[in-house]
Amino acid sequence: MTVETIIEKPPEKPDADQSMGDALLSHQKRNRLFQNVKIGSVWAALILILAVGLLQLRFDPGYIGEHYGFVMQGVLTTLGLSVASILIASVLALLGALGRLSQNSIAQGIAGFYVSLVRGTPLLIQIYIIYLGLPQIGTQLQSMGFTDLGKSLTLTAIQSGILALSLNYGAYMTEIFRAGIQSISHGQREAALSLGLSSWQTMRRIILPQAIKIIIPDIGNQFIAMQKDSALVSVMGVWEITYRANRFGRKDSKFMEMFILAAALYWILTIVSSWLEERLEKRMAHAYER
Amino acid sequence: MLMNDNVIINVERLHKWFGKLHVLKGVSFSVSPKEVMVLIGRSGSGKSTLLRCLNFLEEPSSGVISVAGETVVTAPGKRVDPKKILALRLKMGMVFQEFNLFPHMTALGNVIEGLITVKKMPKDEAVAIGEKYLAKVGLLDKRDVFPIRLSGGQKQRIAIARSLAMEPQVMLFDEPTSALDPELIGEVLDVMKQLASEGTTMMVVTHEMSFANDVADRIIYVDHGEIVEQGPPDQIFNHPVDERTQIFLRSFLCGDRSV
Repeated sequence: MTVETIIEKPPEKPDADQSMGDALLSHQKRNRLFQNVKIGSVWAALILILAVGLLQLRFDPGYIGEHYGFVMQGVLTTLGLSVASILIASVLALLGALGRLSQNSIAQGIAGFYVSLVRGTPLLIQIYIIYLGLPQIGTQLQSMGFTDLGKSLTLTAIQSGILALSLNYGAYMTEIFRAGIQSISHGQREAALSLGLSSWQTMRRIILPQAIKIIIPDIGNQFIAMQKDSALVSVMGVWEITYRANRFGRKDSKFMEMFILAAALYWILTIVSSWLEERLEKRMAHAYER
Repeated sequence: MLMNDNVIINVERLHKWFGKLHVLKGVSFSVSPKEVMVLIGRSGSGKSTLLRCLNFLEEPSSGVISVAGETVVTAPGKRVDPKKILALRLKMGMVFQEFNLFPHMTALGNVIEGLITVKKMPKDEAVAIGEKYLAKVGLLDKRDVFPIRLSGGQKQRIAIARSLAMEPQVMLFDEPTSALDPELIGEVLDVMKQLASEGTTMMVVTHEMSFANDVADRIIYVDHGEIVEQGPPDQIFNHPVDERTQIFLRSFLCGDRSV
């Protein structure tokens, strides 16, 4: 476009309705921003009060500064544990949900038993059974001649942690997956079947893609909860955030310093996770945007 | 009855029970190739169930269903081989009241889903067929659009294209316009009229009496799970013999519903 054509264009008349709408919109925007600033200030004030209070009570931030790196090294362990466990838990949950929804009574029985047993017992007990209980049975099996099987029941602390978290969260997430699958309208299944898709093809191609999109926020929630529950594996001496914080806190009786540091690290992890989950959710909503 | 050239669908003594409810009471009928058969009746009369039993979306309690050379015999307590059901389903395309498009796939994705997943067709071949049928229902320009951005009428036309793409021998329509706004009904009926004029064998459950009058070769009036009366539109609409048919049609005329 040349300069002349731009100039020759008649000046657009200001549209009264349009400018009123614009004004309203910018007003709303300003209000929202102002609201967010106010909420942010409250957060800042609360943190400040906490900090000042603690400092008055001989809280030693310098100690945190000295041992900050040591505890930080546990972040990767915590994350690794959680990521591995949420992946395995999702597979277990999918199998569990398919089992619960299956017509087959054996599949239904196994899935129902799994969910009931695992949800009905504390995670800490599950960790103890896997880490301390299984080797005991393994030794017995070895003495009966099943050497390899017996040996395989002795798991490292990290393996035990991942197994326990996966089993535990797999049971809770079974119900999430089941609800997600059941929330897809029956017509979707009928349309797929009428095209000649098998039950499994219908599940894989039509139902699951829609169900997973719906349950992404719930899986995100579970992932956040799991990061915090992974602190329990510190009882086995896995060098993740909690274990590392506890080690120094105990040695120098600086519990408050070390555990506040640990708490802050978990908090940051969960904030980042929920931000990532929101982005994933938005990306997956693509097909549903008008 | 033996299958011959003049019968593409044959149903014998079809029964359907929903618990204690006897929805279909031994229905028998046959459909000739290229015939357009319209089922009418009150809601709850069993006409939709009849259609859904043909492709086993509802499993018949007992009876014999033959479609284009595939025969399935059902009896209480007898498990039907899933392969037989699949073979039967591939003979028929079905269009639903609520469209049931797959929301996570584009219009084209919907139309080629069966070709790729069921017929294991290479992608480019499936796309060519998919585009052909999108063009047939006049929506080739919506190829890459997701269902949420389509109007009800467009959705239903895509759903028709999706069924047609599997190149079935019979098309089943289960109240295809009942969920549509009045101004969108015409475009769907137009596509169906075109299919009928091309010689597609069709079974249609509908309340669109003028469509039935214009397009049907035969009308079947279903009441309480039984075929009460059947015949060409002129006979059913203008000279119904059975009293129940008369009452039903009169209530329709008074109800101001597109007659």
